[in-house]
Amino acid sequence: MEKIIGETKKAFITGNEAVAWAALAAGADSMFGYPITPQNEVMHYWTRISPQYSRSFLQTEDEISAGFTVCGAVQSGKKSFTATAGPGNVLMQEPFGMAEAMRLPLVAIIQQRGGPSSGTVIYSQQEVTLTAYGGNGEGHRIVYSTSTHQEIYDYTIKAFNTAWKYRFPVFVLGDGYQAKMREPLEMYDPEDKGIEMITPYPLIGLGGKIGVDREPAHFCNIYSMEEELYDVVMQFEQDYEAMSRDVIEYREFFCEDADIIILAHGVVSRAAEDAVLILRDMGIKAGFFRPITLRPFPGQQLRDMLSQVKPQKILVAESAMGQFAKLVKNEIYGENIPLETLFKPGMGIIDHDIVEKVRSIF
Amino acid sequence: MYYVYPGGVCIVADREERIVEAYIGEYASGKSELAINRALDLKDQGRLVTLVDLDTVEPFYTLRPLKKYLESRGLKIIGFGTEDAFGLGETGAMLNPKAKWALRNEGDIILDIGYGVYGARTLNLVEGVDETPELKVIAVINYSRPMTSSRDRIKMHITELGRVDAVAANTHLGNDTSIDIIIAGNREIMAATEELGLPVEYMAVIEEFKDVFPAEGFDIPVKYIKRYMPGAMW
Amino acid sequence: MLLPAMPKSWYLPTKPHKFCPGCGHGIVLKALGEAVDELNIQDKTIFGFDIGCSLLAWDFFGCDSVQTHHGRTTPVMVGIKRSRPELICVGYMGDGGGYSIGSQHLLNAAVRDENITLVLVNNTNYGMTGGQMAPTTLPGQKTETSPFGRDPETTGYPTKGPEFIAAITSDSAYVARATVSKYKQLKRYTKNALRNQMENKGFSFLEVLSTCPTNWKTNAQQTWNFLEEEMESTFRLGELKTPFGKGVK
Repeated sequence: MEKIIGETKKAFITGNEAVAWAALAAGADSMFGYPITPQNEVMHYWTRISPQYSRSFLQTEDEISAGFTVCGAVQSGKKSFTATAGPGNVLMQEPFGMAEAMRLPLVAIIQQRGGPSSGTVIYSQQEVTLTAYGGNGEGHRIVYSTSTHQEIYDYTIKAFNTAWKYRFPVFVLGDGYQAKMREPLEMYDPEDKGIEMITPYPLIGLGGKIGVDREPAHFCNIYSMEEELYDVVMQFEQDYEAMSRDVIEYREFFCEDADIIILAHGVVSRAAEDAVLILRDMGIKAGFFRPITLRPFPGQQLRDMLSQVKPQKILVAESAMGQFAKLVKNEIYGENIPLETLFKPGMGIIDHDIVEKVRSIF
Repeated sequence: MYYVYPGGVCIVADREERIVEAYIGEYASGKSELAINRALDLKDQGRLVTLVDLDTVEPFYTLRPLKKYLESRGLKIIGFGTEDAFGLGETGAMLNPKAKWALRNEGDIILDIGYGVYGARTLNLVEGVDETPELKVIAVINYSRPMTSSRDRIKMHITELGRVDAVAANTHLGNDTSIDIIIAGNREIMAATEELGLPVEYMAVIEEFKDVFPAEGFDIPVKYIKRYMPGAMW
Repeated sequence: MLLPAMPKSWYLPTKPHKFCPGCGHGIVLKALGEAVDELNIQDKTIFGFDIGCSLLAWDFFGCDSVQTHHGRTTPVMVGIKRSRPELICVGYMGDGGGYSIGSQHLLNAAVRDENITLVLVNNTNYGMTGGQMAPTTLPGQKTETSPFGRDPETTGYPTKGPEFIAAITSDSAYVARATVSKYKQLKRYTKNALRNQMENKGFSFLEVLSTCPTNWKTNAQQTWNFLEEEMESTFRLGELKTPFGKGVK
């Protein structure tokens, strides 16, 4: 594969730029997108850099079109992606649904902004439900929730491989802070880290003489009868469960002896880790559990940890009114541990906020 | 011309001494940081300084969250503050009308030219550029930025910016900055500017390195800067 | 018994097809099939089928095909064509998919001069969902959602697709309107719409006036009369834009 970065080195960039460089390094052939803050610089940098490597871009008429052009591009056998946020994410649920239904290796970067509606252009964690379970399906999607620029870079590269290996749409869930913040990260070509990128393959336009060499490839996403659809969805569910073991990622931080476990995801993880250290300095045994994949959720891993550690309390912290907490509760149903919450929809959460909250309940 | 300050301090400012600098350069190259540092330096020399935010897009990483603080340091700020942004709706492209007339202010003017591929063209938004011979357009370059991470890329980038009178070498890696990184990057920037026939105005080094940075090894000024821009929100 | 030959590019395992008796889709798809045969492009043609009755053709051809969402066939074809320019991408849709829910895609693909071919079947109503009013429903025409006849005062006049596409496309675009009642013309236009893409000339758009007796509730004679008298007097036939020269066979 073509080397983009060359010698692995540290760079000082924004999260949106990290996406553009990572997609290039991952071998993405094309991006389709529509302007929306705070993801714009993904497009800006892709359009500046990609022509040097003969990659393409189209600014479509809206997010619906951006999503569907990506669907077409991946069907034709090219690695393709889009990036969006907020109301754009709402519009893209339609093509994301088609990607789910037709098992298309679509990759989308979501930089969450405040909601509902146009909300703010700045930041939130309010697109968790939408990204993980949006659309009229069962959420057969893979969602990586990143917390640093390094992770944005790493998981954007990984997203293409996960998508093409398991054929579920894959999302890198960032936010406006991560999009715009600047920090150093290590940029690399995947092969230099021993990461083998999957070669994309076409689903249509397969060559050969139809009727002689092969049958035509026909794809649909609508079925006549309940039973037909049921079989399809149940097969998806089985495939999803089977791949979950390999895809689930999470992080534990000082959980072993914790009296209180803080649960957070994405950029709030940074505050939570700092808070754990501060609280421990104060003599409060705090620990932190973070799902990196929100879908599939590391539910069993969380349960196992809780039953081993037996914390007195759980605190869920998020920049939304409980969207992440719903995922957590769903996974730990039956556990008998009091669950406290720190919800700040559309607002940043810093270590101090978490420390104060823990001290007020502990 | 003179200015009287509270407490009776009287500053005489010759019109010819007026300093007008526009900081341009790539997204996230450090324009705002250097503009703030420069403005405060001039202020600390007892001069009258206006700092102008010409970033038309960014909702943060502009002067906006720092406006009050900078005003408390005695700078005159033309730009929106956070409180001004409340109620404006979408934080889209916005130009403060006062910024259009910024060059008509008395005293030193430091312009922080934000965002986008237009470089010096953003100065078209400001009245009176042609009647301001003292204007110096300074391109800020950070070698750790991928778009300016080689001599050729730096040259291409500066050429794309349009009018550039001088370069500020601003190589750093945020919290991972080391002296080696600063020196290696800035040497490349100096080589590139020499090939372009442009002067390097100064190199910026964070003040934490003041005691250990081998400034004497360079024949350009080394300016020690503070980091004012919010490094991290948490 | 002598049966008319089916186009070679039709996919036999899915025949007989699923359209209603008297439906015009079969004629449009026959013209498409013969055009594909004669241009010898079966192995590199990709069909995209919109939701609506168009989707019943999802496995109609011995060509690779993708059934998409309602209105979204155009962007899917754009994505494929831009990724694999050697393929011939043909979007197949109805008047609702093209002129209503997918109109922003149609308009912008036309403006960008996307090198794809779109065939839009106009039968003046939403057939698959039970005969509701469409953008192309004629003034006074009764449908399930215009039970007293379409009133242009409140719902506007029928969309003139080719006219609006012709107004916004480049000179090398192909824009035409045909009807299932004039098969030779239909097939000639269909071939032109494909040739235009094969020669990389740009956007190609063909609207075909068609019949829907099931929802019109018309017998054979009434169906044909509505098509030839009502529809064809409202929607003018012909090539509105052709790089090949008008009337060229």
